[in-house]
Amino acid sequence: MRLSHLALTHVRSFEHLDMDFEPGVHVVYGENGSGKTNLLEAIALLSTARRARAGRDGELISWTALAEDPLPAAQLSARIDGAAGSTTLDITVMTRAVRDAGTASTEPPAASRRFRVNGVARRASDLIGRLRTVLFSVDDVGLVDGAPAARRRFLDVTISQLEPLYVRALQRYGRVLVQRNSLLKRLQERRGDAGELDFWDQEAATAGAVLVRARAELLSRLDELASDSHRDLSTKGEQLRIAYEPALPDDLREGLCEPGLDSRLAAMFRATRPLDIRRAMTLHGPHRDDIAMLLDGHAAGSFASRGEQRTLALALRLGEVALSRERTGDAPVLLLDDVLSELDVRRRARVVAAAYEVDQVFITTPDEDRPRIEELPGARRYALEGGTLTPR
Amino acid sequence: MLDPLATDSAPPITRLVEAFHRLPGIGPKSAQRLAYHVLRAPAAEAHALADALVAVKEQIVLCAHCQNVAEQNPCRICQDTGRDRTVVCVVEEPLDVVAIERTHGFRGLFHVLHGVISPSDNVGPEDIKIAELLARLRDVDTEVTEVIVATNPNLEGEATAMYISRLLRPLGIRVTRLASGLPAGADLEYADNLTLGRALEFRQEVR
Repeated sequence: MRLSHLALTHVRSFEHLDMDFEPGVHVVYGENGSGKTNLLEAIALLSTARRARAGRDGELISWTALAEDPLPAAQLSARIDGAAGSTTLDITVMTRAVRDAGTASTEPPAASRRFRVNGVARRASDLIGRLRTVLFSVDDVGLVDGAPAARRRFLDVTISQLEPLYVRALQRYGRVLVQRNSLLKRLQERRGDAGELDFWDQEAATAGAVLVRARAELLSRLDELASDSHRDLSTKGEQLRIAYEPALPDDLREGLCEPGLDSRLAAMFRATRPLDIRRAMTLHGPHRDDIAMLLDGHAAGSFASRGEQRTLALALRLGEVALSRERTGDAPVLLLDDVLSELDVRRRARVVAAAYEVDQVFITTPDEDRPRIEELPGARRYALEGGTLTPR
Repeated sequence: MLDPLATDSAPPITRLVEAFHRLPGIGPKSAQRLAYHVLRAPAAEAHALADALVAVKEQIVLCAHCQNVAEQNPCRICQDTGRDRTVVCVVEEPLDVVAIERTHGFRGLFHVLHGVISPSDNVGPEDIKIAELLARLRDVDTEVTEVIVATNPNLEGEATAMYISRLLRPLGIRVTRLASGLPAGADLEYADNLTLGRALEFRQEVR
């Protein structure tokens, strides 16, 4: 699939951008701070409906709009062409309240988002996955050495683009968890009775089972695909293994893809009630999941060198690309945010080869020489300066 | 732009602007517009508004049967001998009674919960009118055979519905839930996935 048209209005450093894109490799040159990352994150937002980095939605709106417009709003629009035909996507991020002009604030305002698919107002979950992207970022090393939350985020963003039901389950599980934890706190304070947990336990189990099963399925396949990529990339030839580490009691960790998981989870939530009440929090469940990453049997997060961790993160992303294509029969759009310049020639060649296997890829770089023009035959080149993208 | 709440207006005007601003859905500009409207209007209109405000607090009571807001206790609906006393429709708010009455399709009685169970908002079953519902159905004179739970089809509404159905099952009362699915007159193409999924799941035989 490919992004054939992109329009950004008042989005971060872009006041007005309106571009048509052909299939193939697109290289965007720009100095640090020129907005290269903003461009790729805007495309990723149209794909995942969530921001690639933590932060408030109000930060998406350009400073000019915030300073001058009575109702500041950012507008992102895209046309996608893929195996499923042509689709238009729109996201509007608007501030919730009219702000008085002249009351300059350093805080981004509270904002809400509106989604449209083919011009019709939709929920976020109906937009996610219409444009599938894989974003390669220098921050990806955090997948290996960072906190488990980064790895759950990786799972959520990846699976959400492939399974619409997963998005629903994720939202529902999050809301159920907030209610269940509040109730656990009430019960800890000896208000209410434990029977009130019945509904929340069942709901947490139903939504949680969708998450656990999808994560188990994804990681068992990604284990193979990422290991293949890693073999190509690594110099020492270590064996990469990745494995799902569900936050479940030992007796529940097997057979996650077999039927009846929701009732097994419901029984688990019921069984852990006394402990959960004592701690006033839900101690087990997909909200505490993690992924184990092993190089020749050693935990990569603590034992691998920085270079090895980067290679591993790259293998994970390449595995994600292969998996997305395998599941849908249509390759995702690749977004390479300044990742080529930090790689040596051999790894760069491997990533570039992957870029030529998909329909469309956007590469940003501050450096004219990395990648060199001859490494990217037929690539379209653009200069990004002052929020304007100029073909060159 | 001037802050309407911090103008140099005389204190009575400022007080009225602030009072309007506290109402739901009224921003500072609207509050200012309303206040100056009252200021310019004839004195009789201001008195009528003030009387209406006081009357709603002094003359409106909760019906002891259905817990709805009413002018008398028991309320008009609970007193109406023409209504079907075997069915009670449980709703979250008084406005939901108005909505269901407008359909002219329901001839039973109501029960207003004044909220839903939501632990994160610190609202438990004891904070809404569930005990009153139970007392009403346990009454020896009750003719109720069916309770329709018409709470909203969101997480908290579902939680409340399930809690109520658990309580009522031992009483031998049939507990039903409003159907959820496609809105009447809607276009299938424009339905969102969740709604369409539910409509499929709870499909009905064509009669």
